[in-house]
Amino acid sequence: MPRLALGEWVDSAVDWLQSHLSWLFDAISSVVTGMYDGISAALTAPEPLLFAGILAVLAWWLRGLLAGVLAFAGLALVDSIELWEDAMSTLSLVLVATVVTLAVAVPLGIWASRSKTVSAVTKPVLDFMQTMPAMVYLIPGIIFFGVGVVPGIIATIIFALPPGVRMTELGIRQVDGDLVEAAEAFGTSPRDTLLRVQLPLALPTIMAGVNQVIMLGLSMVVIAGMVGGGGLGGAVYRAIGNVDIGLGFEAGVSIVILAMYLDRITGGLGRQVSPLGRRAAAKARAAAGGLKVWHHRPRPVVAVAGVLVLALVAGGLSLFGGAGKDATAAGGDIGQGRKVTLGYIPWDEGIASTFLWKELLERRGFEVDAQQYEAGALYTGMANGQIDVQTDSWLPTTHATYWKKYQDRLEDLGSWYGPTSLELSVPSYVKGVDSLADLKGQAGRFKGRIVGIEPSAGEMGLLKDKVLKEYGLDGEYQVVDGSTPGMLAELKRAYAKKEPIVTTLWSPHWAYSSYDLKKLKDPKGAWGKGDGVHTLARKGFAQDNPEVAKWLKGFRMSEQQLTDLEATIQQTGKGKEQQAVRTWLDEHKDLAEKWAPAPGGASAASRNADGEDERTRPLNVAWFPWEEDIAATYLWKAVLERRGYRMNLQQFEVGPMYAALSRGQIDVQFDGWLPTTQKRYWDAYGDKLADLGSWYGPTSLEIAVPDYVKDVHSLADLQGKADRFKGRIVGIEPGTETMNILKEKVLPGYGLDGEYEVVDSSTPGMLAELKRAYARKEPIAVMLWTPHWAYDEYGLTKLKDPKKAFGGGDRLHTVASKEFPRRYPQLTKWFKDFTLTEKQLSGLENEIQRRGSGHEEEAVKAWMDRNPGIVDTMAPL
Amino acid sequence: MFLCSTFANTRSTVCRAGATDRHAPTREVYVSRLQADGLYKVFGRAPDEAVRRLAAGADRGELRADGTTAAVIDASFTVDPGQIFVVMGLSGSGKSTLLRMLNGLLEPTAGRVLFDGRDLTSLPARELRQVRATKISMVFQHFALFPHRSVLENAAYGLEVQGVPRAEREKRAVEALELCGLGGWAASWPDELSGGMQQRVGLARALATDADLLLMDESFSALDPLIRRDMQDQLLELQKRLKKTIVFITHDLNEAMRLGDRIAVMRDGRIVQLGSAEDILLRPEGEYVASFIQDVDRSRVLTAAAVMTEPERDGEGECDCPSVSPDTPVAEVCAVSARVPHPVAVRDADGNVAGTVPRERLVAFIGGQEPDDARPVPCAWAASASAKEAAHA
Repeated sequence: MPRLALGEWVDSAVDWLQSHLSWLFDAISSVVTGMYDGISAALTAPEPLLFAGILAVLAWWLRGLLAGVLAFAGLALVDSIELWEDAMSTLSLVLVATVVTLAVAVPLGIWASRSKTVSAVTKPVLDFMQTMPAMVYLIPGIIFFGVGVVPGIIATIIFALPPGVRMTELGIRQVDGDLVEAAEAFGTSPRDTLLRVQLPLALPTIMAGVNQVIMLGLSMVVIAGMVGGGGLGGAVYRAIGNVDIGLGFEAGVSIVILAMYLDRITGGLGRQVSPLGRRAAAKARAAAGGLKVWHHRPRPVVAVAGVLVLALVAGGLSLFGGAGKDATAAGGDIGQGRKVTLGYIPWDEGIASTFLWKELLERRGFEVDAQQYEAGALYTGMANGQIDVQTDSWLPTTHATYWKKYQDRLEDLGSWYGPTSLELSVPSYVKGVDSLADLKGQAGRFKGRIVGIEPSAGEMGLLKDKVLKEYGLDGEYQVVDGSTPGMLAELKRAYAKKEPIVTTLWSPHWAYSSYDLKKLKDPKGAWGKGDGVHTLARKGFAQDNPEVAKWLKGFRMSEQQLTDLEATIQQTGKGKEQQAVRTWLDEHKDLAEKWAPAPGGASAASRNADGEDERTRPLNVAWFPWEEDIAATYLWKAVLERRGYRMNLQQFEVGPMYAALSRGQIDVQFDGWLPTTQKRYWDAYGDKLADLGSWYGPTSLEIAVPDYVKDVHSLADLQGKADRFKGRIVGIEPGTETMNILKEKVLPGYGLDGEYEVVDSSTPGMLAELKRAYARKEPIAVMLWTPHWAYDEYGLTKLKDPKKAFGGGDRLHTVASKEFPRRYPQLTKWFKDFTLTEKQLSGLENEIQRRGSGHEEEAVKAWMDRNPGIVDTMAPL
Repeated sequence: MFLCSTFANTRSTVCRAGATDRHAPTREVYVSRLQADGLYKVFGRAPDEAVRRLAAGADRGELRADGTTAAVIDASFTVDPGQIFVVMGLSGSGKSTLLRMLNGLLEPTAGRVLFDGRDLTSLPARELRQVRATKISMVFQHFALFPHRSVLENAAYGLEVQGVPRAEREKRAVEALELCGLGGWAASWPDELSGGMQQRVGLARALATDADLLLMDESFSALDPLIRRDMQDQLLELQKRLKKTIVFITHDLNEAMRLGDRIAVMRDGRIVQLGSAEDILLRPEGEYVASFIQDVDRSRVLTAAAVMTEPERDGEGECDCPSVSPDTPVAEVCAVSARVPHPVAVRDADGNVAGTVPRERLVAFIGGQEPDDARPVPCAWAASASAKEAAHA
């Protein structure tokens, strides 16, 4: 059986999607985030108990007084165990997912109920969606949307969609055919049949579907918590990571309360909205008699009024509470509406730089008008003072004639890019052609053609008159006149078919970032020296707008930045240049500040490269529930908070954490086991990360047994003793490099792989197992590493590894995002200088271990009190 | 398109109560309201091919082997305004399919449906819906009331679809309900009513739109026999006042005989006989119809007019003894005959003797013989034997 590379195909499909549809994912992401933020803001705005009251009134209306009272009690419980905000963000997540799901599922279900084809097509797709383990969706989810609520919501939507579609389809198909026929017999149109007969009758079933969608959504929150979805799911996930039964139970109960509330409410709603449901409820009430108070339900008007009053009170309170928060962001309205006219030639770098400055200047309060011109008209316009600035002047060669003509009426604000070059290029799959001279005698391969651009362009003149002659190609090749877009289209076509092609190109050009092209070398210098791309302004502009002139003079772009921006514009499409620029600037947030700095103050020491106070932005720190990481993370949290920094701690799995770091969603983490343990992540993301050096080492990985197991001192001693250890070696999280080394190298290396089975687990799980076995003096073999507090806590033997199967020791590194050193120069320095001794680390770990999870900050504080001066050592001022 | 009915001559033999007056207004211009013209309905593949074969004389069985089902084969008839046209057949005979082609719920595979001269089969969907909304109503076997609507909303449904304003449609719906004897039930819900009442809601719903043509699909079959009879009476009563044109589907021959001005008997998708109740009862075409009518209570269907003979002697029946009218059912004639020693006189509306019914003739008739065969047997004991027989019957 040949190995089908199914995984690889999916992999490359996902890669392709990511590189080609990133705009779509960004759009989805911003829509979903927007909805989530909106709902979440609305839910968390009122006082918890007040909002609980609102929800309780809703329950009262839909289900009766008892339900209302219970709802209030349950929600008050959530508030009292301090999980209210988590509960509300979970509720927001579920609501967003539900709304989106229903918006897709109900129409799809209706469609499927009316068309056999649609039904037949959707059925297997839905089966696939529902049976694929939901966690699998998280992987591409993270790649497309990064960590946070969005991949969680998307995974939830995919997972919850099928019942929504199915129940809608089923509900409509279930409607008695006689009734549909009766409707038709009275001349009802298909649309009215749907609205007046099918949907009302299907409503109970559809509402059952809604209920299922919500319940599935709730069941997904824990999974969403794994990728940073936060909320109760995040709390459960934290609890799992720490084996924190208390927190797990509290968060679990909160989820149950939410689930019950939502379940009953949607059930009640189902009855209220469907006429049949109302009938049944009325009957039941009439039949029930007795205990009327509990079944009493306010009339809708009363309920709405009650909700409204509570909401108004809530809104009023939060209005007072929230006042004064709305200070204008820094950024400065420097332009104050002054007008700046930019002119540009429709060359790619001209478009890119012009719209870049249009955006930048608009952000700074200028009113910017960008107009496209022919080169000659552009220079004339500037000379006449109608156009203020243009950014695409190729000097000294290409635009020499214009410059000579108008130079006394123009100001040169300097070159922002250069040198440029003109060249002929071939795709890199064309082997054996690396320089212009190589083209000779190859005309057959290229069909004797060089694909040119506008015949009027200076480059074309140069090519025909000088370059071809110089290399003796003029008899052999014909330069095909065309246009820049035509040349690019031809290039695209040929590239797709892997046909040989020679094109007339220049640098910078986005084609170099979109295609793999070779610039043909020009050893004879026939193309001449490269121009610089200059910014020109009309005479007097610098006087009128000194800040803008200053910014433009300081403006520089690297080839990487320019081609990247050009490619972004190219992908976004014509007419959306500024939008593309915005997208690009969002990905390069610091550049706007760099190129057009707004005035503002911060003390010199902690100013970053953009002149901002690096403390203004909260630091996102990722951690995983490994003891040394908890210790280092909370230690730095305590230290940096004294230095005026704010930190957001987020718990992660190793994989998503590295992905998030590489995208800049996380700024730093302290537990990089390098070079061995986390090698694969470093290999994958290393070029987008910054290694801030090691703070502890060397570490080692080992298998440890309690010291009451007398005769086992090295890995080799384990052989033949599987019975005593029940054939098990208790491992940690599957998929970690440590575990891979254990399974693939260590066990085979000592011939233990047939005898022992490595049990996948988690670090806390492994420690719990160790604790249990140790207490009963049972033999146990566990995967451990140094440093670890377990060596202090228990008498353990590290099994010797004479064959060095575990490899050399790692060191613990501080790993930061690529941008981090520029953004946080001060922190970068502190982190680089940071080290802990084994004594310090194990002392701190023990302190944290003793105080238990949830008390890390107290433990760190206690430890710091015993180590005076540590703050100044770690973060010297 | 107006068509003079070719059945005008047979009409004189219809002697049921009210039947004559009922048709009086339209007697001069014989207009057919509804005409079916060579209707075919074939389900399955290659329906057109199947129609060709059926037209050439193939039967249902042959087609079924190919996986196609011929539900209706070459059905042609006309229905006159104000007439109750009954389609009678066992289940699977294609009668319901035929009915659904009449209002376009099913599109005929071949043939045409003409309604007031318009070819429904060629109408675009929107106009067809318009016709169904305003001109043709339907009453269903299992009532098909909307369970999510009150009785009033159900009755008003057809008007709601037409976009009639609420106040007016509710007024008209209440009127229709009252007409059907459900005056006080408007606010109730369908599931609170008995079967008979539910079907009256169904009838009210059909009547509320003021449609001229009422299609009734085994409308009374799901009801208890007593209630069914009640509903039949009520329908006839209503029909006297409203004079709708009705196509009524049933599998019950008694019901067909009771209600139908004209009856089409269907078997295996084909109409095997078309005619009045008497035609079918007295002149069944083929064994199938003949076996069908065995269980019919002839004495309730046939009238004095069908049994009577010309007075044999002048002055016969001129006495003051009790007499009967031509449309008196035979069962009642028997009751009279038991009290008079000689043949019962049949007097028309003006009191003239139209004929007489001798007792032996009456007895023979109930016994299932055609009146013409009922020759008296000249033996004394034979007469008394037949009297015994009559008493027995």
